[in-house]
Amino acid sequence: MIRSIYLVARRDYLGYVQAWGFWLGLLLTPLLLAVAIMAPTWAENSQPTRYYAVIESGDTFSTVLDAELNENRVEMARLSLDPASVMGGAEPNEALVTFDETLQSGASIEEALDRAGAPAFELPQAGFVQVPAPATTQDAITPYLLGDQLVDTPEGPLPLFAAIFVPDGDGEIEYWSENVTADTLLRRAKAAERTLAERRIFESAGVDPALLSRASQETRPVTERRARPASSEGGSQVTMADRAPFYASVLMAFMLWFLIFSVVNYLLMGTIEERSNKIFDSLLTSVKLPHMLAGKLLAVLAVALTLMGVWALGTTILATALGDMIDPGIRGPIFTVLGSVGDFQLLLPALLSFVLGYLMYGAIFLALGSLCDTIQEAQTLMTPLIVMLMVPMFMITVAISDPESPLIAVMSWVPVFTPFLLILRIPTVLPLWEIAGLLVLMIAASLLVLWLASRVYRAGAVHGAGVGDVGKWFGKLVPGKKSKA
Amino acid sequence: MGPAPLELDAVTKRFGSFTAVRDLTMSVPKGSIVGFLGPNGAGKSTSLRMALGVLSPDEGKVNLFGASPNIESLRHVGFLPEERGLYKKMTARATISYFARLKGMSAGESRKRADELLERMGLGEFARARVSKLSKGMSQKVQILSSLAHQPDFLILDEPFSGLDPVNQQGLEDMIIEEHKRGATILFSTHVMEHAERLCDSIVMMARGRKVFDGTLDEAFGALGRAVLIGVSAGFDLDAALKPKGFEINERSGDVWRVRLPAGVDAQDALRAAIDAGAPITSFRPEEARLRDVFVSLVSEAEAEDLRQSLAADTARKVA
Repeated sequence: MIRSIYLVARRDYLGYVQAWGFWLGLLLTPLLLAVAIMAPTWAENSQPTRYYAVIESGDTFSTVLDAELNENRVEMARLSLDPASVMGGAEPNEALVTFDETLQSGASIEEALDRAGAPAFELPQAGFVQVPAPATTQDAITPYLLGDQLVDTPEGPLPLFAAIFVPDGDGEIEYWSENVTADTLLRRAKAAERTLAERRIFESAGVDPALLSRASQETRPVTERRARPASSEGGSQVTMADRAPFYASVLMAFMLWFLIFSVVNYLLMGTIEERSNKIFDSLLTSVKLPHMLAGKLLAVLAVALTLMGVWALGTTILATALGDMIDPGIRGPIFTVLGSVGDFQLLLPALLSFVLGYLMYGAIFLALGSLCDTIQEAQTLMTPLIVMLMVPMFMITVAISDPESPLIAVMSWVPVFTPFLLILRIPTVLPLWEIAGLLVLMIAASLLVLWLASRVYRAGAVHGAGVGDVGKWFGKLVPGKKSKA
Repeated sequence: MGPAPLELDAVTKRFGSFTAVRDLTMSVPKGSIVGFLGPNGAGKSTSLRMALGVLSPDEGKVNLFGASPNIESLRHVGFLPEERGLYKKMTARATISYFARLKGMSAGESRKRADELLERMGLGEFARARVSKLSKGMSQKVQILSSLAHQPDFLILDEPFSGLDPVNQQGLEDMIIEEHKRGATILFSTHVMEHAERLCDSIVMMARGRKVFDGTLDEAFGALGRAVLIGVSAGFDLDAALKPKGFEINERSGDVWRVRLPAGVDAQDALRAAIDAGAPITSFRPEEARLRDVFVSLVSEAEAEDLRQSLAADTARKVA
């Protein structure tokens, strides 16, 4: 038995890894993931700087607007100075304190960074920069907005992106721009006006604006604590060690989803190839059907493990080679999260989820392939399966903001989603009965799917059943509906 | 002496309302070459798939080496399915070796055997070529070699000659004889009678899912009956002349009449009777019996019987 399974698995595995598509996936996936992660940053950096003017008496509005526009850059600068404090809630370091104080004193972000001493950080360029208004009336400024006339900028003469007219008193603020799709500046202008409205209301109530500024400076820190902290070093204070299991569970759920999504196709294609090449009879007179299925599932599992192994090895090599280049403040939290992946309480259910989830989806795709002679035929049945596989991805997104959401709790009891959602729920101090219940459900569902899949596979491989027969089988399930099949 | 390699006992297989094989009983004795004959759709492949345990019979029993087909007994069997197929991306050598290993051969032994067989079939230089690069005939040879690489005791070949050119058909016939000499029992299905005539010790004929004949070649020719072909001058009615003497004329082609010989009567008696009747004889030839004629005759009878049964059933339904 073992020998038959091994031989089938070995042949299939070598068949997969010798295909150029495997190598393409192996090499391109990390590259594409890196591109996907970096894309927002690149998109932001590739945006040209846009120049706008504020026409107002004084600089109240433009100052607030400038602060709104630079909010993200300030946060990035703060993160670069002290990631442990910004991400994990630790006490701020000296550099961060200096940066915040310098910024409070009215200095620019660049100046504050210089004073805090952070030469390694390259601040992303500003998306919007204010320039002196070239005119003060709408008619006079229109040629600048249309590009007929140019304003002076640090990059040389350029068209004006927008002009904001802020009247004195209660008049309406007018935002003029020829670009009606990029609305970032418009949204920030509205936010700036909201801030100013608050100030006006406080002033009208006799509250000194300086008091508001003091209020924000004298805000007491809110320290997050828990009765059972992960690390005793900081007492009851919540640190990255407490959050790491959750981040690790998200990472593992995503990896499970990604692996299943990427490798089950191998089973589908491999089975279609065998059916279209009419190999089943030769195989079935040499190997028992369950052994053949086991071999096939093992082969693709081995492909998945190969991909994981190579990527893990590549990451380790890169981390070792480039480790020194990563800021210790960022390296620390990353290693804490990665360390949580090895936590037995998380790893064991995760491994079970991975194996059972893979078996469940693998068996479904295997059965599907046995019914199809061509990829075109398979595609008619693929759509509902792809949709089914996309749902856990959305659930992972929901769980990132609230892993204890009732939606996640309910959906985790739907067998096809259990493997992904159980991992996400483990760090939420799940009762033991629920973990056991979900594991039993997963095992039972996997066995049922395997049994059903082997019957479908037999129908396809031995009796030549096709995609058209699926409709007849469902027809048989409808009470009162007779099928000829 | 061990059990017969294959015994089917009253085996029936239905697909929905269609009965593909009906009450088939047959045996393949050890060391024999048995031809499994029948027109397309006669139920040959279904019977072979049942013999191998790929399909389960709805009724009856299959014994392969004395037991129900199982992986252990199947190790002694080599099977060439009717629907040819190989892994297109594997090399010829790896393919043969893979199937031999599935049947229990060691890796080294299977590779050695693959090389040896490929060399013998003139495919030595293509041993490391992918199957997708081989011609149809070459691929077919590779599949045949895959079925016999593990030196099975029992070789089941489903339509082995289809798709092969005459040279390769001859090569395959030689290989079957060689395997038989080695000691293998062989069962092969075909609808080309000449191969069966040349190779088989006995034959089983199928038509419309039923067995219509099971016996030796001599018995098959006997079933057809002996005949002589007598040519006479135009206008002479040989049928009218010989009928009173107890001869039956069942075919006529121009002026050549086919006269069936009743039991105990030989060709000379028929010639003498014709001369006595004053027939102006232009030619005389004892008919050489061909398996094809036996086949056509038996299949036609089976089809006619089916038609009769179907009409009777229809009539019964209408009356009811």
